[in-house]
Amino acid sequence: MARRIPRREFLASLGAAGATTAASLLSLAPVRILAGYSAAAKPKSDPIFQAKALKGVDFVLRNSPTSRKYLIETMPGGVALLDYNNDGLLDIFFVNGGHVRDIVGATMSFDRRNPAYWNRLYRQNPDGTFTDVTQQAGLADAGNSNYGMGVAVGDYDNDGFPDIYVTNFGKNILYHNNGDGTFTDVTAKAGVAAGGWSASAGFFDCDNDGRLDLFVTRYLDWSMEKSKTCGSERPTYCPPGEFPAITNILYHNRGDGTFEDVSVASGIAAKKGHGLGVAFADYDGDGFTDIFVANDVTNQFLFHNNGNGTFTECGLESGAALSENGKMLSGMGVVFQDYDNDGLPDLLITQLPHEPYVVFHNEGRGLFSAQELTAGFGVLSGNSSGWGVGLEDFDNDGWKDAFIVQGHVFDNVEMYDGSLRYREPPLLALNHKGRFVKADAGSDVPVAGRGAAFGDLNNDGWVDVITTSLGEAPQCYLNYGGELHWLTITLRGKRSNRDGFGARVQVNGQTRFATASGSYLSSNDKRLHFGLGSAETADIEIKWPSGIQQALRGVKANQFIVIEESAP
Amino acid sequence: MIHALLWMCLLFPPQSAEPSVSPEVLTLLQAGTDAENRSDFDQAIAAFRRAANLDPTAGIVFFKLGDAYMKKRDFAGAISPLQRAAELSPESLAVRQLLGYALLAEGYASQAIPHLTMIHEYGALGIAQLQTGQPGEAVANLQAALAKSPDDPDLLFYLSRAATALSGQSLDRLLSVYPKSARGYQALGQTDYEMKVFPKAVMEYEQAIAIRPDLPGLRLELGQVYAAGSEWEKAEEQFRGEAKLQPGSPEAAYRLGNALMQQGKMKEAIEELRRSDLLRPNMPETLYALGRAAAVVDPNLAEHAFARVIELEKETPLAGQAYLALAGIHRKQGKTELAAREMQEYGRIQTLTAGLEHKNP
Repeated sequence: MARRIPRREFLASLGAAGATTAASLLSLAPVRILAGYSAAAKPKSDPIFQAKALKGVDFVLRNSPTSRKYLIETMPGGVALLDYNNDGLLDIFFVNGGHVRDIVGATMSFDRRNPAYWNRLYRQNPDGTFTDVTQQAGLADAGNSNYGMGVAVGDYDNDGFPDIYVTNFGKNILYHNNGDGTFTDVTAKAGVAAGGWSASAGFFDCDNDGRLDLFVTRYLDWSMEKSKTCGSERPTYCPPGEFPAITNILYHNRGDGTFEDVSVASGIAAKKGHGLGVAFADYDGDGFTDIFVANDVTNQFLFHNNGNGTFTECGLESGAALSENGKMLSGMGVVFQDYDNDGLPDLLITQLPHEPYVVFHNEGRGLFSAQELTAGFGVLSGNSSGWGVGLEDFDNDGWKDAFIVQGHVFDNVEMYDGSLRYREPPLLALNHKGRFVKADAGSDVPVAGRGAAFGDLNNDGWVDVITTSLGEAPQCYLNYGGELHWLTITLRGKRSNRDGFGARVQVNGQTRFATASGSYLSSNDKRLHFGLGSAETADIEIKWPSGIQQALRGVKANQFIVIEESAP
Repeated sequence: MIHALLWMCLLFPPQSAEPSVSPEVLTLLQAGTDAENRSDFDQAIAAFRRAANLDPTAGIVFFKLGDAYMKKRDFAGAISPLQRAAELSPESLAVRQLLGYALLAEGYASQAIPHLTMIHEYGALGIAQLQTGQPGEAVANLQAALAKSPDDPDLLFYLSRAATALSGQSLDRLLSVYPKSARGYQALGQTDYEMKVFPKAVMEYEQAIAIRPDLPGLRLELGQVYAAGSEWEKAEEQFRGEAKLQPGSPEAAYRLGNALMQQGKMKEAIEELRRSDLLRPNMPETLYALGRAAAVVDPNLAEHAFARVIELEKETPLAGQAYLALAGIHRKQGKTELAAREMQEYGRIQTLTAGLEHKNP
């Protein structure tokens, strides 16, 4: 029988390893491993999630549902896993909704000065507990006229500290990480406030200039005044088609702490949709990162990066715009990673019930084909509503598995359709060589799930999950792992952006596209996790956004390594 | 409906009996008619009432008085004089017609029925029968009325209500006489399914199957319950059972094929969908499903199936879907020009069908 290493014992061993890091730098040409620490060997092989309350995390996602059914109420909120103080431990940032008054024509005032409606940053302590550092970090002011939605994380100024971008219904906020545990609201200087209803956002380098740019999806052309309810006897939230579509935003990083709105010049604004999720990957291998936007009841958008500062939306031509039946998806969350280990990034898109979650398999040559049935999602998702989504190798067998948080949009959906549920447990589906099969997600407790962020919270080599749900405390699904091996890589770009976003990293035949984006409204651990199965060493190949390629052979399994981009 | 029919009747009044009354009464009838023509119905009623007082045995006087009330839309006021007119002129169809409408309008449906039956006014009769709990008769009469006035929205509305009531009545009868019969459970299962109470529907169908395992259709319906809940493995089991029971059923083969496809068992799905196509050729839905299942494992077969869908469907949304699917296959095969043309066709049909949908009420 497997022996599970207690979390405290593990973290203690981690601390010891961390202490030797500086002295044990490895230099293996052409890859430079700047830091490394090994986790203790783990027993057992099955991935076993356990839903756990994190000590010190007292956040509640307050969405303020009203009888007026303001649509914003059912859409938040994001969560980010980031190491804001570079202590090697993942911290957690939650986006809160706000207080919506239950009156006709409620104003744009969401009581965000009330601590109950603050966004929250929790710093992880060495003992695995968390401390709320929101106020001392300077993140308490979320803007009284902002109803919170999502979060993106990236080191936009390459100073080595992750910055936080919060999307809102209202004005978005960019918090610069000062490197001393505090943040400064630099939105006005940076020029990235956007406006209207922003949803997911993500940092990526659109022109490979070594600086992270910022993409923001926007959901609807909507306001409190324009709000209306749908349904007759039982009023409920209106579908997005009841409101005008709107453009997404691309901000180009000028490198001086400011951004330029290039939405029109780049061609991004040529398309209006109902954008929710966003994910990035170079799907056609031309060296430039492309953008996929999950739209709600609109064609999905695949923005091909032309490499000259412009994008061409080619979802329909690429086969990634519509379901196999030619229907529009109610796209919510999206992840853009390679699930079948053919080296090409595929798309997994969550949506509302009666159609399975969609898998657009990358066929090469810029083409996708709907493969959700052969991938197994026909039997996994027909009556569920999916939001946050991740493709991570939870069982370290070398195949990326799927984790999806679920719950319907309507808080009274049972009154409309007895076969649907507002609250649902999450879905864990393990990947058996390209076919997903349901597994124990660690909790059957139904929640109105929304955001999800993925990362190795306790640095044990097994990817954990943090999710948010409306009106409730977040859920943490700790992965207690097993015996199989793993490797976790932190990229450090030099010519490329420091986070290495956009790099293609291949380890023992698996491929990951470096990004913190994906899921729904959320931001993931930027470290690249690879399950190695029974392999005790790994061969690594990296193609950086700069074009530089690096390779490393025979890297020992079960360790965290930092790889710095080599000189050209 | 009632009012519309009433006004139809009032605009085209039926032949009434020749009056044989005194000159004084005749003068009052003329004065009342003149007032009616001026739409002064109160004046008309006053004149006709004086005439009735003068000659309480003249059926025409009571008919005119009732008619004036009807024109005033005072149906309650019309009933008494029309009943007197019916007593005095029992053979007058005009009197029966007005009295039937007046009674129906005032909610006396059962009293209206004999009068409406006499004049063969099927629409109003059907409505009266629906209101008196005779949905079977109501359906028959409303259908007869619709044969004369096809697509009349009011008649269609009442026919729909009557059919629903008839269905409920039949179900109630079935359950009261044979509460533990397979058909009884089947009916309950179907009701639960329509109300999307799937777990209860499953239980009802399982009871039905336990009682009559040989009854065709039970497994098909239970499979559909599972399919609606995306429980495809269980749906497959039921459809397979139905296909075994009815090897010649194209629907069982189609549904089994679809359940297999949803589970990603494409080769088995193709087998069943081809069998369905053989049993009942040229079903567009079967061919489309066959194309979907084959797209992964046998692109040539998929191409052929989608082409047949287009051939059969021409410009329907399903044809559009087939073009989209064909474009995907041809892009993968490197036939980009062909794929582009198919995408154009897809777009054209999308525009066309969106326009049609927009035009539909």
